[in-house]
Amino acid sequence: MQHGTNRRMLSPEQLTALTDLFRIGATEATAALSRWLGRPARMTVERVDQLALADATEVLGDSESPIAACVMSMRGRVTGQLILAFDDASGLSLADLLLEKPSGTSTAWGEIERSAAQETANIVGCVYLNALSRSFHDGTATHEVLPSPPQFTHDYPQSLLQFALMNQAAASDLVFLTETQFHIDGSPVNWNLLFIPDADCVATIENLLLFGMK
Amino acid sequence: MPPKIQPSIRMGELGVCRETGALRTLLGSCLGVALYDRKLRVAGLAHIVLPKATGTPELPGKYADTALPELIRQMQVAVPGANLKLTAKLAGGANMFNSISAPATIGEMNTQAVERILGELRIPVIGRHLGGEQGRRMTLDAATGQVTIEIASSESTVL
Repeated sequence: MQHGTNRRMLSPEQLTALTDLFRIGATEATAALSRWLGRPARMTVERVDQLALADATEVLGDSESPIAACVMSMRGRVTGQLILAFDDASGLSLADLLLEKPSGTSTAWGEIERSAAQETANIVGCVYLNALSRSFHDGTATHEVLPSPPQFTHDYPQSLLQFALMNQAAASDLVFLTETQFHIDGSPVNWNLLFIPDADCVATIENLLLFGMK
Repeated sequence: MPPKIQPSIRMGELGVCRETGALRTLLGSCLGVALYDRKLRVAGLAHIVLPKATGTPELPGKYADTALPELIRQMQVAVPGANLKLTAKLAGGANMFNSISAPATIGEMNTQAVERILGELRIPVIGRHLGGEQGRRMTLDAATGQVTIEIASSESTVL
């Protein structure tokens, strides 16, 4: 197997057009998340960009402490990985909220805390991806996205991102990703939703930008 | 006192240091290759992403077939005129999610490519920490050649 060709850069105008599409996904997922949590939530698209490989592995920060993450593999019209990541404090606070316990009760990632995180990822991810699949519809019959059940991991953020970026890295030194951040009850929380398409999906997105969506 | 650790070597990057200090990288499915000359105490670490480049890549550290010659060249620059006698230690190649299988194949291909190239260069591999389902932090101490492998929520391992 040989690798090493570089994909072209998306133009600023194309990235702006894509940002608008991802905002639709974030808006729909915001409503679902607010219902799930029973309190106001907001998801904000912070970044839709192509980055150098090494820089992309640091979008969750360069901390060497492990983080918690739920990873969904996407198949169908949109392919790649969707990752909901949080630092331990933020993730365990989410578990307390959903389990109706006082904040600070959960101190470790047991089965029930993991389940709370995975169910949140499932709800946010499915709504987000459904909205994206409609946005990326090009008139062909198949535009469904089939997400896998979220897999929980507690690992180094750079290791996690390396794994998720590997498919794009095989095609290019530049990788495409989007980053969405969260507010709960009007305050920022250290959660992050990363949409990391694989190389085929990036090519699909580029073609849709060139030839249009229906 | 623990060795001063240089900035982390990121995906597709290389690093070299001599006598003191330490090199560190965080690995998922990629392969970390530590080279060391015990007598000269020169250390090199590569974070390899893929087995083989096409043409002349912009990031030589990304590919096994370009990273190893470039790493050895940089180590030689650190000890000009000296005859390097290197050993190697390997870590990484995790398959972090069962449902995402392609990178695992690349991890195995990276390991095969690196072992083949090291064999051709007559550099013995004296330590391995490969596979599994979790990421690793790999630290190479330039004073001793000791490689420490840390996995989240686990005891560290010394190679």
